[in-house]
Amino acid sequence: MLLVCLAPLAARAQEELENPGVVLAVQDRTYRMNSELMLAGGVLPLDAFTKGISGQVSYTYHFSDSFAWQIGRFLYSYNVATGLQNQLTRDFGVNPTAFPQTNWIAGSDAMWTPVYGKFAWLNSSVAHFEIYGLLGVSVANQRISSTIAAGTTSTEFLPGANFGIGWRFYMSKSVSFRFEVTDNLLFGTGGIQNIMVVQLGVCFNFGSTE
Amino acid sequence: MRDDVKTSVLVLLGLLPSLAFGQTPPASPPAAAPPPQPAQAPKGPAPAPATPPAGQAAAAQPPKAPSAAELPAKAPAEKAGQALFDEALQDYFADHKESAARKLYAYIEGTPPTDENHPWAQYFLARCYIDLGLRHAGAVYLARVARERSNPQVLPRTLEALRTLILVPHDEVLIDEQVFGSLDLGFLPDSVSDYANYEQGLVDLRVGNERWANTHFAKLEEGSIEASRAKFALLVTRLRKLEGKDVPDDMVEDFLALSNDEKLTQEARNEARLAVARLRYERKDFEGALKAYDMVQLPSLDPGRATLYLEEAWTRYNLGQLRAAMGLLTTLDAPSFREEFLPDKYILRALVYRDLCHYLPAKRAAKELTRRYAESLESIRERDDLTLDARLRAAASSHGSTKRAARFRDSLTRENELKSRYAGGFGERLFSQTTKIYELAIAEAERVYRQRLQESVREEADKLLRAAEQVRLMEYEVGLKLYERIKRGAKLVQPEKQAPLAEGQEAFRFDGEYWNDELRSYRVSIPSRCIEEGAL
Repeated sequence: MLLVCLAPLAARAQEELENPGVVLAVQDRTYRMNSELMLAGGVLPLDAFTKGISGQVSYTYHFSDSFAWQIGRFLYSYNVATGLQNQLTRDFGVNPTAFPQTNWIAGSDAMWTPVYGKFAWLNSSVAHFEIYGLLGVSVANQRISSTIAAGTTSTEFLPGANFGIGWRFYMSKSVSFRFEVTDNLLFGTGGIQNIMVVQLGVCFNFGSTE
Repeated sequence: MRDDVKTSVLVLLGLLPSLAFGQTPPASPPAAAPPPQPAQAPKGPAPAPATPPAGQAAAAQPPKAPSAAELPAKAPAEKAGQALFDEALQDYFADHKESAARKLYAYIEGTPPTDENHPWAQYFLARCYIDLGLRHAGAVYLARVARERSNPQVLPRTLEALRTLILVPHDEVLIDEQVFGSLDLGFLPDSVSDYANYEQGLVDLRVGNERWANTHFAKLEEGSIEASRAKFALLVTRLRKLEGKDVPDDMVEDFLALSNDEKLTQEARNEARLAVARLRYERKDFEGALKAYDMVQLPSLDPGRATLYLEEAWTRYNLGQLRAAMGLLTTLDAPSFREEFLPDKYILRALVYRDLCHYLPAKRAAKELTRRYAESLESIRERDDLTLDARLRAAASSHGSTKRAARFRDSLTRENELKSRYAGGFGERLFSQTTKIYELAIAEAERVYRQRLQESVREEADKLLRAAEQVRLMEYEVGLKLYERIKRGAKLVQPEKQAPLAEGQEAFRFDGEYWNDELRSYRVSIPSRCIEEGAL
């Protein structure tokens, strides 16, 4: 049993003896971010009664290749009633204002980029990408019903946390695309709400270091 | 062990003829020329008609292309009139190239060379050939127009078309020597006189007459592309004349100036940079050589040239940068360079391992050469015909004049196969003529290739034998080291600290998969197993 366990080690030692050394391809990063402005479009898909079509603008400052601060982001949601909501209002007389909906979300996040890689496109060109994580705070503005019977509404602000994961695809030193999935955990009086955002954005990089 | 200065010179000389052609991709055929002014009908005596009209002959064409020897003897050509020429031109501009070629050839056959439209017919026949992919046949007719020069109006177009043809594999004797190398320069238009002067200077340089070459080069317009190329050619020739003597400073500077000359092609500028690097290497200016290698610019994702990496590896080895040299040797194992003939690679790898006291890998690296080239070495020892050895033949055909001869022969073969498609459209007489052109050209191209191959394969065999000799020395040396006694108190040398990754760098661990964008980036981390001398 001991011999079986030691066999891989022995093989590795033999390999090390025959082909000593480790080879690394050390390259300058082709793409480095500095100040980033993102314009994104996406959806808020989780609410069964209302689907949000969102537009977001954000500004991110990159301290290094790994860490960045998405200083500010503002998302506006254009809400569309789902078939379920339509059915409830039409067939069961539920007042349309009874369904809360998210108007906008603002926030700020830390961005950590542990993965930078490249892939071959049709074996004829090399493309670069990053995978990053986001963690931050949010504040959301929601329309809620103040008096269901009367059909009056009001807005409320909900604090929350935001986290997510994203994939950046570089087109050039100045332009890249970000695809990200984030989740805003909003803390309200009625409990925790999940506002998921799936979006695709085009990013403009300013002041990139060579 | 590294190629000495003579080798460098040879490499540079191999470039000389290619200077004329640049390295641009095959250009599309020249834009269609406007039709010439219709001329008067030919007035010369015409031979008696003995064959059916060309159009009828074409209709009766067999689909399979017979060789020239199989074709029946040609009957005298029928007298041709102005109408046939006009019809041919109409076909040409209507993009009916096969029909146009057939009529133009009938016109050429049916009119005397003194006919006003005879050279135009030859010119347009050449254009038809070129447009149909039969470049060599086109070149034959263009060269004929250029040599006869019976109509001064057609000459500039002809020379321009020939200049386009030299960008691709072509008959160097026919175009470079017999046309551009022997043109009467006094009658040339400005657009081609520089090029002709340059070509004639090159011809003079090749036969060792630098004074005459200088006479031609002096006529080149200062700052022209040809002037830059001529400077390069002169420098290479002067370098050859040094034959191992010290290289003067100004020669390195001149090459350096050429390496930044935007009028040269990228390939020629890179050659100048390599020349600078090689000259500095020979002068033991290794740092300077490295700077020159770094100046070599490659297109994105281009794997580059194996000799470049190998030379840089030798330079780094001489600077004591063993791990960097090993990184470049890793590059040379890439699939892009698998077929390269680089016996030195194995020797250098063995030297690096030996210097790091990895004796077994050193021995194995050296023996890899004799294993890999066992068949070639056996052929050399047995005094076989070396041109039959696949590796040596491939190595000999991979550069210099042998490579050009091989490429021309291959292009002729392809065009000869392509020609069969036009058996019907060309008609019997033109097809027979075309077949004859290609059979003669292929036979001559094969002869030239064989001749050059014989010479270059011997050089490659010498290179291999020298490397095999180094392997034996290496084995002996390593054998001694393996059994060397280690004295009491000896200890390993301090491991060299690896340079950490700088800001903005990333490292991809190499797992055997080569990426072209990484070929110049390999860094090898390998510990030294040598014993510290101070501890002995």
